[in-house]
Amino acid sequence: MNVHFKITTGLLDGIFADLRRPHPFASERAAFIGCKASRCRDGNLILAHTYLPLPDDWYVDDPRFGCVFSADAMRTAMQFALTEDASMFHVHLHDYGGAPWFSRPDLRESSKFVPDFWNVKPDLPHGTLVLSPDGAAGLCWYPHQKTPLRIRKVTALGFPMRFLGGAR
Amino acid sequence: MSHLFSRQTFLGKDSEKLFGEIRVGIVGLGGGGSHIAQQSAHVGVGRFAIFDPDFTDFPNLNRTVGATFADAVAKTPKVVVAERMIMGINPHAEVWPIQAEWQSDFPALRACDVVFGCIDGFSGRAQLEESCRRAMIPLIDIGMDVHKGDPYSISGQVVMSMPGLPCFRCMGFIRQKDLDDEGRRYGEAGGNPQVVWSNGVLASTAVGLFVQTVTPWCRIHPASAFVGYDGDRFTLEHDGRLTVTGRTQCGHFSGIGDLGDPFWKP
Repeated sequence: MNVHFKITTGLLDGIFADLRRPHPFASERAAFIGCKASRCRDGNLILAHTYLPLPDDWYVDDPRFGCVFSADAMRTAMQFALTEDASMFHVHLHDYGGAPWFSRPDLRESSKFVPDFWNVKPDLPHGTLVLSPDGAAGLCWYPHQKTPLRIRKVTALGFPMRFLGGAR
Repeated sequence: MSHLFSRQTFLGKDSEKLFGEIRVGIVGLGGGGSHIAQQSAHVGVGRFAIFDPDFTDFPNLNRTVGATFADAVAKTPKVVVAERMIMGINPHAEVWPIQAEWQSDFPALRACDVVFGCIDGFSGRAQLEESCRRAMIPLIDIGMDVHKGDPYSISGQVVMSMPGLPCFRCMGFIRQKDLDDEGRRYGEAGGNPQVVWSNGVLASTAVGLFVQTVTPWCRIHPASAFVGYDGDRFTLEHDGRLTVTGRTQCGHFSGIGDLGDPFWKP
C-alpha cells in the first residue's frame, strides 16, 4: 500500500526553522505533527496540519542520544491525537543534503513509542518523519499491522511544489 | 533526459522523471479539458485520472481536441477520446478513464497530485475545490464565457487554488451571490457558447502555470494565480482582486477538520 505524506511549504519552512534552533544540551530537536488521513485509489494520504514543537524543558539530558524527550511530550501529543482525532507523526531533522534515513536508534525507539498512539487512536495511522534540507523519508504504522510501511512520497505544496522523495 | 524531451531540458534535469511520476486529474474533457489532456501528455505527464460522463456529439467538434467526425457519429465517450489522444502521444502513460461525474470516484480524484477543473458553474467549482482542499491537491480552474450583447464579448480566467494559500472565495472568484444566483437559475436549458481558440489560450496558460509550479523555469512564483482573459483584446492579466483583499492565507479551509476523510477507516 502506498502512503503519500503531504504538507504545505509554509508549515514545512516553520518546522525547519524550529528544528534548527540550538538546544541547551540536546544535539538535535524533535517534534510532532498532527495530521489527517484520506484514502485514495492507490493508497492513503497523510495530510499534515498542526506542528507541535517541544519546549526546551521537555528534553531529557542523555548523552547517548541526540534527542530524548520526556513523558510530557508524549502526553501532549497523545492528547492532541485524542481531541482532534488526529494521526500523529514524530519529526526530526538530519541537517545535511541528500535523501535522509533513520539511524538505528531512531528505528528502535520509534518502533516503541509510535504504536503508543494506538492507545488513544487505535484506528488511525501514526508514524515518524525524518527531514533533510532537500529530502524526506518516513515510516507509517498502519492500524492493525506490526511492521511499518515506508512512506512512498513526500510532497510540499506551495510555489514551487517540492517533491522530497520518500521510499528508500 | 531522453531524446523525446530534449527541447525542454530547461525545465531541469529531473523534470522528465518528475512529470512521468505525477498524476494529473482532469475534470471535464470538453473544450478546455481536451486541450489540457493533450498538452499534459506532450509535456510528459505519465499518469492521468480523467473524468467526464458525456459522449462526443456534433456540437463538441468545434472545440474538443482529439475528437473526430467518426466519434460524433459513434457517440464515443469523451474519456475514450482523451485516453486515445494521451496514449497516442505517450504510449507508456497510465490513464484512469472515469466515465462519470468526478463525485462518483473520490478515491481516484484524491490520488492526483494536481487537478485541472474544466467545468461550468460556480457551485460545481466550489464543490471541486472543497474536495481538492480536503486532500491537499492544487486545483487549476479554467473557464470562459461569451457574453451576449451588441457586440458579443469573450472573457475567461485561469485560477489556481493552492492548499494553504488563498482559495477561490478569498480571491473573490467565487462569491456567495454567484452561488445564490446560480441556484435560482438552476434548470435553465441551453449550452453556453464555447470556442476553440479561447479555450486553447486558457488551457495553455493553465498548463504553463502547472509546469511553473512543479518545475519552475524562472524565479517568479505567483503569490496568487488569478489570471483574467480578455478575449476581445487578446490579453491575459493578473486579476487584482486578491491584491485588494491583501490575503496571504486562506481563511475558509484552515481548520484541521477541513482535511482528510471525516470517517477514515483502515
